[in-house]
Amino acid sequence: MKKKIWKYLSLLRVGVLEEMQFRLGAAVRLFGNIIYLIIIYFLWKAIFDSSPTEVVNGMTFTDTMIYLVLASALFSTMEMYVTWQMGRSVQSGNIVMDLLRPMGYTTYNLFVFSGNTLVSVFVNLIPTMIIVYLITSGGFALSWNLLFFMAAVFMGTILNFFINFFVGIICFYTESIWGINIMKEVVVMLLSGASIPLAFFPETLQRIVYYLPFQAIYNTPLTLLIDNHLSTTERLSMLGIQLFWLVIVGAVSQVFLRVSMKRITVNGG
Amino acid sequence: MEPIITLKNVSKEFKVLNRHEGLKGSVKDLFSRDYKIIKAVNDISMEIMPGEICGYLGPNGAGKSTTIKMMTGVLEPTAGEIIVNGRVPYKNRTENAQNIGVVFGQRSQLWWSLPLIESFKLLKDIYQIEDKQYKDMMELYESLVDIKSLYSKPVRQMSLGQRTLSDILAAFLHNPGVVFLDEPTIGLDVSMKSKIRDLIKALNHEKNTTVILTTHDMGDVDALCKRIVIIDKGVMLYDNSIENLKSFFGAYRTMRLRFTKDASELTEEALKKQAEELSANLLQKYPQVKSLSVSVDEDWIDVLLNEDEIPLMKVMHHIQETKRIYDVQLKEISTESVIKKIYDKDIK
Repeated sequence: MKKKIWKYLSLLRVGVLEEMQFRLGAAVRLFGNIIYLIIIYFLWKAIFDSSPTEVVNGMTFTDTMIYLVLASALFSTMEMYVTWQMGRSVQSGNIVMDLLRPMGYTTYNLFVFSGNTLVSVFVNLIPTMIIVYLITSGGFALSWNLLFFMAAVFMGTILNFFINFFVGIICFYTESIWGINIMKEVVVMLLSGASIPLAFFPETLQRIVYYLPFQAIYNTPLTLLIDNHLSTTERLSMLGIQLFWLVIVGAVSQVFLRVSMKRITVNGG
Repeated sequence: MEPIITLKNVSKEFKVLNRHEGLKGSVKDLFSRDYKIIKAVNDISMEIMPGEICGYLGPNGAGKSTTIKMMTGVLEPTAGEIIVNGRVPYKNRTENAQNIGVVFGQRSQLWWSLPLIESFKLLKDIYQIEDKQYKDMMELYESLVDIKSLYSKPVRQMSLGQRTLSDILAAFLHNPGVVFLDEPTIGLDVSMKSKIRDLIKALNHEKNTTVILTTHDMGDVDALCKRIVIIDKGVMLYDNSIENLKSFFGAYRTMRLRFTKDASELTEEALKKQAEELSANLLQKYPQVKSLSVSVDEDWIDVLLNEDEIPLMKVMHHIQETKRIYDVQLKEISTESVIKKIYDKDIK
């Protein structure tokens, strides 16, 4: 039993090691994130300046900035290159090596990519949260909400993995990656509330978005962290919805994988 | 003894879209349902015994890799039955993976960005190798090749030879019953090739591991295999020992000729031209002799013939009448030429 756990933990460890190999990459990404934050700062400042009231769609400028800074930190933390990786390995035929690991293809990928994310949590998410907390002198509460937030980030990461994984399987058929990936990124970025707070969406769109799995990735953890007015029941039901999507998307992607495996042809050789 | 691998009438078909040319054609392809069926492997049967090193040969595109992928469980055969280690590979891919090792010459199962030793440690964990077995294996490796110096090197910084060596060690690490080596010596220099052959031989000997080896290098075959299976266009052409193959072609001789005094002065084109002239000449003189063929090997011109059909001396005599021969060597037929003969289907 102990051995069995090691099998997976060491994959997680490799994900961590892999991520840490590329110090320069992390530095460049940090730089990119700072530029992104400067852009959204001025963009939203202009939006609020042109508004007659200080509160737009129930959010002040500070609220919006806290949301967006944390959203961008969360986005780059959870960002997984699963789809790219899968698409590339199908194109090159290298997928054969992953299929020959003595464990399921999904499990293998899930643990390695979670290892990547784990590093990001420590070098990206937590530092950003500390900075935001210090600058806004208490922009979010330090209480039970942190626990809910952690649970939601954990489930959000796995949900995000399964969505990526699902799109990755589409690459088995198309053998092209770029277009599919860009589409996925745009859809997820918009509908998850990672680039614009969902409160700013038109009402109809808002309602549609709440019935889609994407908002459970970023919006759920962020709302649980920032919004102080939620009751425990509301919080638990948000986690419940997240779990629901996790199970559904996970199951669908597994069925899709099984069907696709039957017709997979491995390139090369 | 029970065979460790059994293939019974195995076939594999691929459905491929018929592509059209040009812009108009590629738009048409988007909606096309015009598929053609390609038979990559056609009705192949064989049995491989534990501890064997079996050479699996064939020209490019013969269906070798497809067969290997079916034996590893990555591809499902369209028809027929495959049993490896008592399991049907494509039905139990992950269980099967636990008991096989695979090296594809152009790919790597190692983690690109990590030092080699990390990859080994990870393999130890995911294959759940016992501490003692792992230690023994590493000691064996260190006694066979100079691997210690590579432990801290990230795989992406390795030379192709070092990487292939590491990949082979990785494939044997969990002591699998069968190891598939798909063109392991591709692109390697002579000394690395021989190093890798020695390593494969030693590991096969130490652990009695069954090895299925595909290669285009006859040096690999001569050094490692007692038995070879040859396929072309998906069809099995030969399955027997190398000895048998050579005795079958026993009356074949290779005559190696040089028509210039200093062969190193000759350019490759000039040599090829000489060979072509000779070939045309011989074809004209002996149109009925089917076994006669001329080829260029390094700075020699090789004339291959079957002495049952035509005496070698007679041909040499004829050549001498038309051209001055500066140097000559006689050789038995090489494995390479035998296999080339089978590929070209000169002889049935």
